[in-house]
Amino acid sequence: MKLTRLHLEQLKQFRQPLEIRDLTDGINLFVGPNESGKSTLVRAIRAAFFERYKSSSVDDLQPWGDTSATPEIELEFDWQGEHWTLNKRFLGKKRCDLKVGRQHFSGEEAEEKLAEMLGYQFPKRGGSKAEHWGIPGLLWVEQGAVQDIQGPVNHAGEHLQSALGQSLGEVASSGGDELIARVEKERAELLTGTGKETKKYKKVLEDYRHSQERLDALNQSVEQYRQQVDQLGVLIEQKQSIDAARPWEEQRRKADTAKSQLSEVQRWQSEQRQDQQALDNCRQSQAVYRQQLKDFENQQHQLTQRAEDKAKAEAQLQECRDRRPQLERRRADAEQAYEQARNRREQARHQAEQARHQAERARLQQQIDQLAERQSQQTDTLKQATELQEALKALQSQQPSKDIDQTALAQLKRTEQALAELVIRQKALATRLNYELEPEQSITVGAETVTGQGETLLVEATELRIPGVGRLHIQPGGTDVADLQRQQEALQAEQSSLLRRLDVASLEEGEQRAAESQRLAQAIERDQARLDILAPKGVDALRSAAEQDDARLEALREQLGKLPEVQGDVTSEENAEADLEAARAELKRAEDALNQHQQQQGLAEQASTNANAEWDKLNAELQAPDRKAREEQANKKLTELKAREHQLTAAIDARQRQIDAAQPELLEQDIERFTASAQAMETQARERAQSIRDLQVRLEEQGAQGLEEKRDEEAQINQRLAQRRDELTRRAQALDLLLNLLKDKRQALTRQLQAPLQRHLNHYLKLLFPQAHLSVDENLMPTTLTRPQGTGEEQGDLPSLSYGAREQMGLISRLAYADLLREAGKPTLIILDDALVHSDAQRLDQMKRILYDAARRHQVLLFSCHPENWRDLGATPRDLQTLRLGGRA
Amino acid sequence: MPRFLHTADWQIGRQYNRFAEEDASILADARFTVIERLAALATEQAVDAVLVAGDVFDAQTVSDRTIHRTFQAMAGFTGPWLLLPGNHDAALAESIWTRAQRLGAVPDNVDLLLTPEVRVYQNLGFVVLPAPLTQRQTYNDLTEWFDRADTPEGLVRIGLAHGSVEGQLAEEIDSTNPIAADRAATARLDYLALGDWHGYKTIDARTRYSGTPEQERFKDNGAGQALIVDIEQPGAEPQVQPHTTGQFQWIKHQSTLAVASDIERLMSELDALPPRSVVDLTLDGEVDLAGYQSLLQYFSAAEARHRSFQTHLSGLNLVPTEDDIAALHADGYVGEVIGELRERQEGQGDDPDTARTALAILTGMLRDTSPVAENEQPESAQ
Repeated sequence: MKLTRLHLEQLKQFRQPLEIRDLTDGINLFVGPNESGKSTLVRAIRAAFFERYKSSSVDDLQPWGDTSATPEIELEFDWQGEHWTLNKRFLGKKRCDLKVGRQHFSGEEAEEKLAEMLGYQFPKRGGSKAEHWGIPGLLWVEQGAVQDIQGPVNHAGEHLQSALGQSLGEVASSGGDELIARVEKERAELLTGTGKETKKYKKVLEDYRHSQERLDALNQSVEQYRQQVDQLGVLIEQKQSIDAARPWEEQRRKADTAKSQLSEVQRWQSEQRQDQQALDNCRQSQAVYRQQLKDFENQQHQLTQRAEDKAKAEAQLQECRDRRPQLERRRADAEQAYEQARNRREQARHQAEQARHQAERARLQQQIDQLAERQSQQTDTLKQATELQEALKALQSQQPSKDIDQTALAQLKRTEQALAELVIRQKALATRLNYELEPEQSITVGAETVTGQGETLLVEATELRIPGVGRLHIQPGGTDVADLQRQQEALQAEQSSLLRRLDVASLEEGEQRAAESQRLAQAIERDQARLDILAPKGVDALRSAAEQDDARLEALREQLGKLPEVQGDVTSEENAEADLEAARAELKRAEDALNQHQQQQGLAEQASTNANAEWDKLNAELQAPDRKAREEQANKKLTELKAREHQLTAAIDARQRQIDAAQPELLEQDIERFTASAQAMETQARERAQSIRDLQVRLEEQGAQGLEEKRDEEAQINQRLAQRRDELTRRAQALDLLLNLLKDKRQALTRQLQAPLQRHLNHYLKLLFPQAHLSVDENLMPTTLTRPQGTGEEQGDLPSLSYGAREQMGLISRLAYADLLREAGKPTLIILDDALVHSDAQRLDQMKRILYDAARRHQVLLFSCHPENWRDLGATPRDLQTLRLGGRA
Repeated sequence: MPRFLHTADWQIGRQYNRFAEEDASILADARFTVIERLAALATEQAVDAVLVAGDVFDAQTVSDRTIHRTFQAMAGFTGPWLLLPGNHDAALAESIWTRAQRLGAVPDNVDLLLTPEVRVYQNLGFVVLPAPLTQRQTYNDLTEWFDRADTPEGLVRIGLAHGSVEGQLAEEIDSTNPIAADRAATARLDYLALGDWHGYKTIDARTRYSGTPEQERFKDNGAGQALIVDIEQPGAEPQVQPHTTGQFQWIKHQSTLAVASDIERLMSELDALPPRSVVDLTLDGEVDLAGYQSLLQYFSAAEARHRSFQTHLSGLNLVPTEDDIAALHADGYVGEVIGELRERQEGQGDDPDTARTALAILTGMLRDTSPVAENEQPESAQ
């Protein structure tokens, strides 16, 4: 394709018509400063081809502010030996005319023809964009876009493939793409793009599946029906073979038999219980009789025991009695010893009295001597006490008779009191003997003879002599009577001794004397004292005293005269008293022993009496007349009971064996088992009959539905659906396979196209980088640049290269595509707007060689604002400014 | 001198899954119409009774309509019909027979031999010992009781049973429902009429399978007949005459194609088949596109001529010749695809069937688009 003429009117800055003629093969260089119209020119060429003449989105084409303008472009070019003229007017007077030789196309037809020839497409609406530009988008490079190769190749892809496909001639299939389209269409009937089933195909699968479900359900129903028929058959067979014979009746009979057996056994058990009771009674009775007999035996034994007891009691009594004389002897000895001791004590007491008399005499003698002496002394003073002597004389004449031993008197008083007390005690304890004798009769109590009536207290063992009768020996019972008697005697002896000493008949006399003595003494003392005062020199007093002394001397001499003159040893009164006390204690012990013995004997006698009585009683019982009879009766009863027990035991054992043999538990189980069996059988039979009725009804209903016929019909449908499904599946698979194969083969073919592209690329590349390699992918996209680097290689994806290098690779690729298209007989026109501005001088030199080489095969329109860079390109630059001024290039 | 019509295995209610719907329903219908022909034959031959040795029905649960139709189809012969239950229509507790009786579908002249007991037809001069199946299958010989059965003197003694005579039939027949091979002799039968084997088969002079009166399998074993049996007197050897009753012949044909002339040979063989048959054709080997085309053409004509014409071509490889490919203008990579598919259809791996189908589709498409394409069906590979 060779562009020969370009004419613009009313287009952007070109308000005036611009005409460029005589464009040449190879490079056509347009230079001019910025804003001189280079880009407008490029835009005009693009608009002529890409924009719909009817488009309203191209008002940028109108000159500034001139909305009524009709931008017009006219292009002339040669292609395939024909001259083509394209005239296109926008906006104002829209028009498109294409003349190809003698043919004329207009409007959209003209536009489509151009698009098909060059390999691009129109937008559905609006202005044309990069994705519509196709192959021209790749070859017509806008300012600063050389390096961007990926987008344009993608947009051109389809057009490239179809353009190059034709170029492959022999290897390409003439109807291949059409065939692929048809296979795709057929496949799309069944499968979606992703290989899923389409609605139509899916419905067939669904239909089959539903049919299969129905078929399965029917099969199941048929199978159920058959099972029910079989079940019915079995039930009927069972009913005839089992239930018809009414087997439960046999079971009931067995149960009844077992029941009657069991009731028999129960009767035995009842009898057994009765016998057992009788046996228990029998054994109890035996025990009673045995006890009775044993009691009899025990009584005999007891009698012996009691005899022994009796003998023992008597022996004890006898022993007691035998001991008595010994004890009595001891008492007698003790009495004797006591009597002796008492005598000795009396003797001692007498001796003591004599001693006291002697002392008294000595004292009296002494007083007499003293008085006599004093009488001689007092003769001088005697005259001085004459007056008082008279008074005193009276008093003093009375005094000697009244003088008394105060100490002895006090003792006498104590003794008399003790005696009085003793008498009282004696009276309380004494045996009281009342007597009332016949007149003229008398008895002797002790030594006393009494008559008439009266009472006497016996305080000691006393003999009572009754004339014509005999003697009664009375022993008072109290223990202390004898003792008291003895104390009394002792006290009386002391009393009489004291009375003699005091020279009084009685205590009263003594006491009276003592009182008079005291009174006289007081008076004498008073008179004496007055005498002493009256006769301080004591003459009178002395005479009185002499007289008194005389009187007193006389009294004393008289007194001395009265006292017997005794001589002899003096036995100690205290020793005698002690001996007496010892003798009395011994006597008391002896009497106690005797009393104790008396008591023991009494007890022994009582025991003996009791033992006798016991023995008598038992013996009487044993000797009772019916006792023998009772024992015999008991023995007889016992024998009878033993026999009865034996009989009962035998009966019980025998019956128990019978009962055990009958096994009542098993009989009960049998009854239960047979009854349950009968019930189960009857229930089963009833249920069986019911099941048969139910099954028959159900089967009749189901049979009327013609299940198997339906099933077979469904199977037929299913079979056909399966066939249909299989056909579709096979067809889908086949179409899938076919499509894949076709595409694969076509893809392989595309890969074959890579080779020439590679060749063209390398052709240019070696001018820039010797031994370098630019790889191309399946979509004919340049991808990786491989360059030798040292000993190895350096690899770089296109986008990773420097801006300058990318620009160079972009241009090289485009040129290679152009070569490829040319070989495929496609039109190639290369337009470069300010390309390679980023290349350094060295690279630019190489690129110029490359461009020059390409221009030998393609027409190139090169626009630049740097004319100096392109001077050595071997082309005559056309200055746009000059052109605008109407100059002709 | 009693005369019988011996038939069996009517298989009423059978459906035919393998056929197209229309064919299937006609074939199913044929099972009824053959009864009418049997009735006509019985009347024409003036037989004393029709003996049906089991499998009257194909299934226990067929529709009421089918039951009625069956018994109504017997109307053409008013003599006694003796129907024996077989394994398909065994006399179970609930069976097609109890249903037929409940429906009142059984005419008076039809005797259902549901129990194994002697049936005396005094006036007609014979007794029948039936061995009905009361289970779907049994391993006992149900005819055993025949040996011990006493029958009145002077009457012809006929046995009627359904099952496999031991040691006589191919193994593919069930070994269930056995029948002793010498039963006719041991039971002193004049004739033992058997069913279950769908072909006509003579076991001995007195023991025969009549086969089904209307063929329903692709087996060339004498099916589609009924037997007229004459017995001169008790003890006399029966005279048996087969009569064709079938409407459709079932023919299975298999052929291997190797060279072009094989196709012509095959066509002449198929031409020789009786018309209105049920044909099942299996082809293998290989064929070129032209041959394949002419085969498809022939098949569509054959489908019209026969009741059913089914073909199985999965073993037949399509082998386009260079000329075929040229004629189809299958140049460039499309040609390569054809080559690839040709290889694949013979291969072991990637499903030869799919490749074969794909090849048929492709050649069909190419023929459509090729300028000299003949007006043929492109996709009827199967």
